[in-house]
Amino acid sequence: MSEAETGAAPIDHPPAVPVAAASQPDAQPGPAFAHASEAELSRILDFYDVRWDYEPHIFPILWNTDGDVLESFAPDFYLPDLDLYVEMTTLRQKLVRKKNRKLRRLRELYPDVRIKLFYARDFRALMLKYGRLALADELTGTSGQVTPERPYAELLAGPFGVTVAGPAGIEGPVLVEAGPPIAAVVSAAGPALPDRRSTRSHRRRRRSRLTQPAIQSEAN
Amino acid sequence: MKTPIDLHADVAEVLVTEAAIQAKVLELGRQISDDYRGRDLTLVSVLKGSLPFMADLMRAIDVPVRIDLMEVSSYGGATTESSGLVRILKDLSASIAGEDVLLVEDIIDTGLTLNYLLRYLRGKNPASLRICTLLDKPARRLVEIPVDYTGFTIEDRFVVGYGLDYGELYRNLRFVGVLRPEVYSTGS
Repeated sequence: MSEAETGAAPIDHPPAVPVAAASQPDAQPGPAFAHASEAELSRILDFYDVRWDYEPHIFPILWNTDGDVLESFAPDFYLPDLDLYVEMTTLRQKLVRKKNRKLRRLRELYPDVRIKLFYARDFRALMLKYGRLALADELTGTSGQVTPERPYAELLAGPFGVTVAGPAGIEGPVLVEAGPPIAAVVSAAGPALPDRRSTRSHRRRRRSRLTQPAIQSEAN
Repeated sequence: MKTPIDLHADVAEVLVTEAAIQAKVLELGRQISDDYRGRDLTLVSVLKGSLPFMADLMRAIDVPVRIDLMEVSSYGGATTESSGLVRILKDLSASIAGEDVLLVEDIIDTGLTLNYLLRYLRGKNPASLRICTLLDKPARRLVEIPVDYTGFTIEDRFVVGYGLDYGELYRNLRFVGVLRPEVYSTGS
């Protein structure tokens, strides 16, 4: 839904929210990838000496009339030397449609952001090129090893004091009630951001509380 | 008994004919000759896929050229598991410092290998470094790299022939063709 449709006043969209430290090939330990295809791409990037960060930024893409973030998009990889985001989509078709919609929204709101979407066929072609087609066949269409959806609220809950509320049994974006307005959080740039390790451990802590799909908005 | 592979039968479609390749190589050769007139040019080819293109292109260029060959390990290859990093399997045999270098590629898709090679070659301080590729598959591009000379821009299909392989085969086809999916689906 656009701002025009919601009747909301134009919002100065904040920049993406950094959520994690860089994950370099020699970092200890590596990030917990949501899907094995992401881990494979990270190995390919490492192989060709291309620096990458895993889910370093979250882009808000939908706000309510109060300016609260309703929906967000967190691309899987950022390649700093190329200034390019890469989003992997080897998931089920239903999730691909959702991701395509989010990607369109991201491109509308952040036209300067360069992002490449890797569909299942792209991943398959990559694996074919590298003689690993069996791996592509094994992974394509699966919903991931951890969880396909990482709620924005979950990622922000620790550092920004965000709480999540949503009607049970309803799929889709949920209302995110932030302590401080998200724009203020971003512009202040003051709150200490979690490092990767604390973010992951935070995710682990929160996951048990966010197991109901009804209260999850997918982050990517 | 192992079933013999019929190279031609495994190709579903000829994407670039032999005649088209040869015409394009001549065209590229003329263009490169004009651009490098009065200068010494070093052609650097990347094994193994670029070999036929390099062999034809160098003979289509009428300015003095030196040639050199490189080979780098490919992801998923035999050397991947040991180091996890790309390796130079064969380095240049002579210095390119101060030389005008044209890197000759068979195909550019993700740009990952080329990106690595360019960084490596730039570190050897050539006077100039340009890229010539027979095939460009932009739909696959991950690393955007400006290409100076392009033979054919092709659609996003798995191609073999004229140096390009699948499982080290099909390189000796005189055209560029699309491999039948069942060939790689069955792992043959």
